[in-house]
Amino acid sequence: MDENRRDPLPLREVERLVELVRESGMDEIRVRQGETEISVRARPDVSAAPPATQAAAETRGVPEGGQTEYSPEMDGLHAVRSPVVGTFYRASAPGEDPYVQVGDTVSAGQTLCIVEAMKLMNEIVADVSGEVVEVLAENAGGVEYDQPLFYLRPDEQ
Amino acid sequence: MIGKVLVANRGEIALRIIRACRELGVRSVAVYSTADRDSLHHELADESVCIGPPPAMSSYLNVPAIISAAELTGADAVHPGYGFLAENARFAEICERVGLKFVGPASGTIARMGDKAAAREAAAEAGIPVTPGSEGPCESVEEVKRVGAEVGYPLVIKASAGGGGKGMRVVEAETEVEAAYLGASREAGANFGDGSVYVEKYLERLRHVEVQVLADSHGETVTFPERDCSIQRRYQKLIEESPAPGLPEDIGNGLMAASADLIGSLGYEGAGTVEFVYADGEFYFIEMNTRLQVEHPVTEMISGVDIVAEQLKVVSGERLEIPEDALSPDGHAIEFRINAEDPSRNFLPQAGLVEVYNPPGGPGVRVDSHLYAGYMVPPHYDSLLAKLIVHARDREASIRRGLRALDEFAVSGMETTLPLHLAVLEDEEFRKGGVTTRFLADRELESEGGLLRLVQHFS
Repeated sequence: MDENRRDPLPLREVERLVELVRESGMDEIRVRQGETEISVRARPDVSAAPPATQAAAETRGVPEGGQTEYSPEMDGLHAVRSPVVGTFYRASAPGEDPYVQVGDTVSAGQTLCIVEAMKLMNEIVADVSGEVVEVLAENAGGVEYDQPLFYLRPDEQ
Repeated sequence: MIGKVLVANRGEIALRIIRACRELGVRSVAVYSTADRDSLHHELADESVCIGPPPAMSSYLNVPAIISAAELTGADAVHPGYGFLAENARFAEICERVGLKFVGPASGTIARMGDKAAAREAAAEAGIPVTPGSEGPCESVEEVKRVGAEVGYPLVIKASAGGGGKGMRVVEAETEVEAAYLGASREAGANFGDGSVYVEKYLERLRHVEVQVLADSHGETVTFPERDCSIQRRYQKLIEESPAPGLPEDIGNGLMAASADLIGSLGYEGAGTVEFVYADGEFYFIEMNTRLQVEHPVTEMISGVDIVAEQLKVVSGERLEIPEDALSPDGHAIEFRINAEDPSRNFLPQAGLVEVYNPPGGPGVRVDSHLYAGYMVPPHYDSLLAKLIVHARDREASIRRGLRALDEFAVSGMETTLPLHLAVLEDEEFRKGGVTTRFLADRELESEGGLLRLVQHFS
């Protein structure tokens, strides 16, 4: 490689990847574009020095407030989370049938529910195809940002 | 009294407001971003709602999310704290429209005082001295030159929508006007979405003094003895004290009277701060902050008044309850801002795990902070970790108390401004009192046996 013709380091991109690793809890993200390859790896939490038995369940980066206990996501279930603060509705209007029921098979992009925020109806869609395993929020109740609304069991690839 | 307050902020100020609510028997709702899941304001409020991801634009500045959180929890009022949405007139207006009480003045007042050129006009109309300069915004290079010919150089060009030194240029002579005007206007446009600027005579050696005000809806206004906030770095305050050392009594009274005139003419409600510069025996209005300020505890210590509790009374339509003797200062108080910044590396912001946290205690010491051992300081927000406020019989005693308390204060895991504060308290000029806002710029930080020391340049 010609040393003098190297592109400047894409620091902004690296920053975004670090953010992504931190938020997703993934171990490593690697991207390649042309000659450049960037790999961002989460550092195990050295200061906490967790005992070996606990280490497997440890999420890296953002501390999760001691949430190392069982979560259904460990069984391969996928959580659909609320992207906004608002009111959760299972149907498009009062008296209508719910968009989905437990046991239904949904495809990616299919509407699962509505979260209303400031009179705006936000349709929440499935981001993976699979089976609806659990409805986690109560109809007409409040939901926060990032709150799990449904558990889906994703289809086998 | 209102029943439930949503606190639209984070960090120490969110805690401060939650504490006031608790003492008044008002329920509190915290909002937090996913970066603040382990934060104390989320833990200590009666209820809390996660409003968005870490970037402030998507969480603490996310108006729809905050309004939705208020509706879901049935809050009656929103306290914006300082920073974030505290001086956002549109947010205040939206609160008014949806029937939420905004803890602060009317949205129209926020908008008027938020425009620095308009605020200067309001002050001049109320008969308060303003720094010589343009009457409103300056529309052209020629207009700046006209002002320059009238009041003399150096001038300072400032952004109407600005603050914190952004969109600001000092002009030494007429030949520099054009470049400075265009530069300031461009920077103001980029930072505040409004490129309008105004011009003032540049005062080089000045002190920053300000007056805390409170006003209720029954026409009562209260002005407190002045605070001196001259210890600044790049227009960011680091140390505030009250009363201002060595300030002539007639100046102090003049500041309070001018502030009372201004808030009277505005029909102001709630807490606010009127800021002045003091130079060569004269004071001039510079701006008004229509919100609670970081340094409000300094005034609380010497007056015994709980300013946040009074804000909540005012928003409930109740009368202020300020005892007569609260307005004559009881001793002297100094506040130190402990920031996650490394003074020996050009104040580089720090983030990370707080390993040890041991705040000072003992007589006359108050610490407002959201830290605890094991807390992760997230990299997304401002660097204020704690405010240490000391109170004693007089200035000398509060400096001694400050030295003692700063020395006791232990935070490990990151560099902080603690050693800088110790160095300031050791400085002879500071001890004499009455230093100008150039104090830190005129000095170099030197490391000596693990301690920092300030050395004055002789230029």
